[in-house]
Amino acid sequence: MIDWLDRHAQAASPLHRWDPRYKLVGLTILMFAFSSVQDLRLLPAMLAVTSGLYAASRIPLAFLLTRLRAPGFFIAIVAILLPFLSGTTVIARIGPLILWKEGTLAMGLIVAKFISILTISLVLFGTAPFLTTIKALRALGLSPILGDMTLLAYRYLYEIGNDLKTMEMAMGLRGFRARRPSSRVLGVLASLAGTMLVRSYEQSELVYKAMTLRGYGHSPRPREQFQAHPRDWVGLAGVLLVAAGFVAAEIWLRGLGG
Amino acid sequence: MHIPDGILPITISAAGYATSGAATWHSLRKIGQKENAQASIPKASLLTAAFFVASWIHIPVPPTSVHLVLNGLLGAVLGYYAFPAILIGLFFQAVMFQHGGLTTLGVNATMMGVPAILAFFIFRLRRVVGKESHWAVGLFGFLAGAAGLGMAVLISWGLLITTIPAHLDVEAEQASIYALVLAHVPLIALEGFFTALVALFLQRVKPEMLEN
Repeated sequence: MIDWLDRHAQAASPLHRWDPRYKLVGLTILMFAFSSVQDLRLLPAMLAVTSGLYAASRIPLAFLLTRLRAPGFFIAIVAILLPFLSGTTVIARIGPLILWKEGTLAMGLIVAKFISILTISLVLFGTAPFLTTIKALRALGLSPILGDMTLLAYRYLYEIGNDLKTMEMAMGLRGFRARRPSSRVLGVLASLAGTMLVRSYEQSELVYKAMTLRGYGHSPRPREQFQAHPRDWVGLAGVLLVAAGFVAAEIWLRGLGG
Repeated sequence: MHIPDGILPITISAAGYATSGAATWHSLRKIGQKENAQASIPKASLLTAAFFVASWIHIPVPPTSVHLVLNGLLGAVLGYYAFPAILIGLFFQAVMFQHGGLTTLGVNATMMGVPAILAFFIFRLRRVVGKESHWAVGLFGFLAGAAGLGMAVLISWGLLITTIPAHLDVEAEQASIYALVLAHVPLIALEGFFTALVALFLQRVKPEMLEN
């Protein structure tokens, strides 16, 4: 199962106690407010808010660092290419390479926004069980078809992933090695993908029968059980105020022309 | 192929959510018009998970390996379910694996999902040309797969080229983006070939999966 995402979902922190519906609305708006930042002077405040929220979530820093490893390739590309490829003002010359001011600043902006938004999304999805967050999305009006598809796909994702691992191992034990994209190799890999699709298709028929027996499509959908407290409203108002502050500061700084 | 958080201007991210919202609404409306829409939800869900996992299969392209997008195949097999399936797949990728992003989810869903719907129509053309013959499934499978990725690359190119900040060296940025697009040309052919092979496999083993 996908338990790493839920690894810290049961901890005790104000963010864990926050009603998932309010948390979804508040933190999503905050992410978009961060996305609107273009002025470099707002970056320290943005990173400070992000650090504050992450610290308040009491999720270990090691967890964040592990998750940053996956998109590290993107950060590395931006950090390496932009400062040396883009710009008109020279900062320094390093052998044949020129370090450009505009590219370096653009790199700083993109990397800071990327890390901040990613950290907030980890706080959002790491401080409640994933299923609870999906239920909160349903309570906020997510279409029943999308909600059911998300929950079912999530339920079977790692089961199918394990099937793939088993099949790949079996192929390897029988001597299959994918070294070049020859038609034989592609044919075998296409059969592997096709087999997974066929197995999932056949399994879905059994799943549907089991769901129907349990009343799927016949009994009324249970309402998601969430109870908001005054502290949830206060939390939402606080985060919305911060988000509005960033948007207003961005507009104001742009108006100043610098 | 996934545009991460922090790169695009907020207006483009918002427009991405608007277009993906419209495409999702259209897809759900079409699904709702089906006779027994509820029965196909488990099928579409498990296939969504299976497509997501199938995209983990690495294709060797020395000196490295690539993984396929499979949005064309998804369109060919899932039809109108392809767009919600892609939206869910990208949501999982953003939340679980930090690929793509939440603020760019709408843009990425549009970039992958609209070509998937186009691929669905392309694959359906096989019935006009050659009924369900082997070559028709292969040819239109190839076209659906190649068009799915090709159109996604074009949308991504358009987005990146039109959102380069004015203070950067526009020529250098354009050259990098063109190089990135050119690097995808062999992958488009590979995606088409792989889609054709999977479509032919499904036609042989489980033809009803291609009846969408």
